[in-house]
Amino acid sequence: MMNKNNNSKRQIIETEISMGPVHSAALEPYRVRLFVEDELVKDAEITVGVNHRGVERIMEGLPVEKANSLTEKICGICSNVHLWNSVLVAEKGLEIDVPERAEYIRLIMAELERIHSHLLYLAHGNEVLGHETFSMRLFYIRETVMGLLSMVGGNRVQYGCSVIGGVRPRCDLDEMKIQKILEGLDSIEKRVMEFADRFISDPIIMSRITGVGVLTKQDAIKLAASGPTLRATGVELDLRREMKQYDPFEFNVITQDDGDVKSNLLIRVLEIPESIKIIKQAIKDLPKGPLTNRNWEMIDTDIIKNYVEAPRGKLYHSYALEDGRIRGSVIRTPSMSNIGAMQHACIGTHITEAQLAIVQCDPCFTCTDRAIKIQYTPLSKGEK
Amino acid sequence: MGLKSYSRARAVHVMLVYTGGCNGCDIEIVNAVLSPRFDIEQYKIFLTWNPREADVLIVTGPVTKHNEEPLKKIYNSIPNPKAVIAAGACAVMGGVYKNIHGDIPSDEIAGPVENIIPVDAKVPGCAVRCEDVLAGAVSALPKLLEAD
Amino acid sequence: MEFTNILNSYVAVFGTLIVSLLICMFLPGIERKFIHARIQQRIGPPVSSPGLMAPIKFFFKESITPNSPMPEVYNKLPLIGLIVITLIFLILMPQFYFLGVFASILTIIGLLKIEEIIYIFMGSLSKSVMSMNMPFPDDVKGAKQYKQATKSFIEDISANRAFKLIAFGSIPIYLALFVPVVKSSSLLLSDIIIYQQINGPILFSFAGVIGAIVFFIGYMILLNEYPFAILKTKADVIEGPYMEYAANSRAFVVISRAFLMFTLATLFSVLFLGLPPNIFNWSFLVNIFIVILFPVLMGVFSAFSPVFTYKQFYPFVIGTSLLGVLAIIGAFF
Repeated sequence: MMNKNNNSKRQIIETEISMGPVHSAALEPYRVRLFVEDELVKDAEITVGVNHRGVERIMEGLPVEKANSLTEKICGICSNVHLWNSVLVAEKGLEIDVPERAEYIRLIMAELERIHSHLLYLAHGNEVLGHETFSMRLFYIRETVMGLLSMVGGNRVQYGCSVIGGVRPRCDLDEMKIQKILEGLDSIEKRVMEFADRFISDPIIMSRITGVGVLTKQDAIKLAASGPTLRATGVELDLRREMKQYDPFEFNVITQDDGDVKSNLLIRVLEIPESIKIIKQAIKDLPKGPLTNRNWEMIDTDIIKNYVEAPRGKLYHSYALEDGRIRGSVIRTPSMSNIGAMQHACIGTHITEAQLAIVQCDPCFTCTDRAIKIQYTPLSKGEK
Repeated sequence: MGLKSYSRARAVHVMLVYTGGCNGCDIEIVNAVLSPRFDIEQYKIFLTWNPREADVLIVTGPVTKHNEEPLKKIYNSIPNPKAVIAAGACAVMGGVYKNIHGDIPSDEIAGPVENIIPVDAKVPGCAVRCEDVLAGAVSALPKLLEAD
Repeated sequence: MEFTNILNSYVAVFGTLIVSLLICMFLPGIERKFIHARIQQRIGPPVSSPGLMAPIKFFFKESITPNSPMPEVYNKLPLIGLIVITLIFLILMPQFYFLGVFASILTIIGLLKIEEIIYIFMGSLSKSVMSMNMPFPDDVKGAKQYKQATKSFIEDISANRAFKLIAFGSIPIYLALFVPVVKSSSLLLSDIIIYQQINGPILFSFAGVIGAIVFFIGYMILLNEYPFAILKTKADVIEGPYMEYAANSRAFVVISRAFLMFTLATLFSVLFLGLPPNIFNWSFLVNIFIVILFPVLMGVFSAFSPVFTYKQFYPFVIGTSLLGVLAIIGAFF
């Protein structure tokens, strides 16, 4: 398998330790097997599939509006971006023009969600580091974002913001909401930066995270890592640069060079101000106008594909439309392509650091368990 | 209230088992409820990850086939008296996965939590609200307190 | 007269023991509520909950047979640990100094070693459901296979680490114990106390201050508190050797940890302040102050530090041990 040096295959590995699907350091059910030699991890295997529920199977044959709202149930952390991408697929296939105001609101929600996801990552990372205080403080900062999300979307986790052609009316931003979002963002930015100062200046934490779970640039590209995990190794690849929704806004793509836990943590810290910058620009130029475009007709399409940049990386949704129903839905989540990176990062770490090396890639295995592939054959070809 | 019930009410150890939910309920329970904003510890509820220490088992998610046996095993290793809370729509009634295969027995979902282990309290919501988790934990308490 | 004296000393011994046991139950709560929760900006549990109510609750739970090759032995181990700690505490009391050489530093070191060895037994006897026993298809086609690899429980690592704790982790506390010995040139507790009554507490000397710091770090290592938690951490090997304890045995685990906190702090006040525990003496208040001060300081340290791996643990222990050696050398002058 993926060994850092070729000799390690020939080494005698004495012990195998496994944990999961229920474990204190893992937020989600997955199995980790560590092959250990005197507490040093020589090889690791992450087994996903524990979570497999098969949302695609339910989506098959459902009306597209109904199926879209199911995609939210794929992930509880980045539910909005799943819905957004699924809606974008339909809009791409049916060639629907989305009102500008709706585009901006969707984008604001996506960026708020990115902030909440990154804060969750940082807090969970600190929990795995064994630093309960920082983790608690980050969760406290996160509650501010959760408040904003539930104010705009009406729920703390699944907001159901986008619909085909626009956004739901309840997610409209009025003066009061805008005021609260701006206030909340200011306080988040201030507190996150204060935290980052404390975090970086702590020598013990730095010695815990520097040089642990290193992923080189070549390995990251070879293992098809995506998102912040890839950017932490020095590759400047952010799908937001290529998405037309992000065209009007100015933001930097953050990269770090080392690919270790420190780079991974820092990149998420530094991406929060960038997201805040995007939201502030979007709120400043928030166009007036309708929220939804109802002027569209359902047509049959071939398989439509779309990528967006989720908080964890590249998210892919695709399906075909037939009689207004979904066929052959395929979803690939960013953590799927990061699993290789996680296994690779584990190798060579101490057992205590192995969980940290997994968590540094920001796993979301509940999204990842999409092993289903529904073969799509158009009805016209299938019928004789 | 005797010493038995009094001590049980003053220290409740809660264990969580994720059985394939979407992370929404899991994070709401572990992180939001334990975070300083809600702080479940002030209601004398402590989080543990060891079934031998636990009194209350909180289960989230529709139980997937892979998780069925671990869930049973963890439930069996909790010493009596114990209570089970099913948190979230998936755990309570299957959520959107309820009818995943219609009448055909499903390969993936082993059913809502009730099908596998007895459930004492149900917390609805998708995802569960933090206040409801507290209420659910409280509603499971009488079973613990009155047990031998 | 003779009879009253004997009665008095019995009352003193049992009274001190019972008062100490009562106070030690509140130590985990004090650490959790007033230090950790305050630093984390939340309210936190009531003071009595983690230390006092939790063990009482565990006593009322159903006793189960743990998953262990020797369940009876495994279940008795926490009780043995508690007895060992109680013995240490008894030796510290002036009423037991008549035992002569048994009431000396060597006995205390021996008993502390027993306490550490118990961790190894606990770790190797516990076979929890949470790792290897979890029903999960590991050896399926396509999974990584290493023929030579033995499947091990996560508690086995704890047992290994407990051994490492004996080998080097607990050196600081033992070095610190020898500072008063060198100062008073006697191994007997009674001589150490008499020396301090004449010359003033050892704490107020150069060697004493360094020795106290080393003792405190050793105290944290022996109690397995963050950041020195190599035996049990939430983030890594869960709960370590205690995994399989339920009901009565778990109650004893909780109590013995709290009582170890109390005993080690009392040991400090005997060795460095010359104040043996005795409820009929006002100096017992100083004892209690030290007993509460130590967990408070420990809570502050643990709240602001991530858990150590060996990369941090080895240099820290080596540095502290060097300090301890320095303190012992300083004690000669």
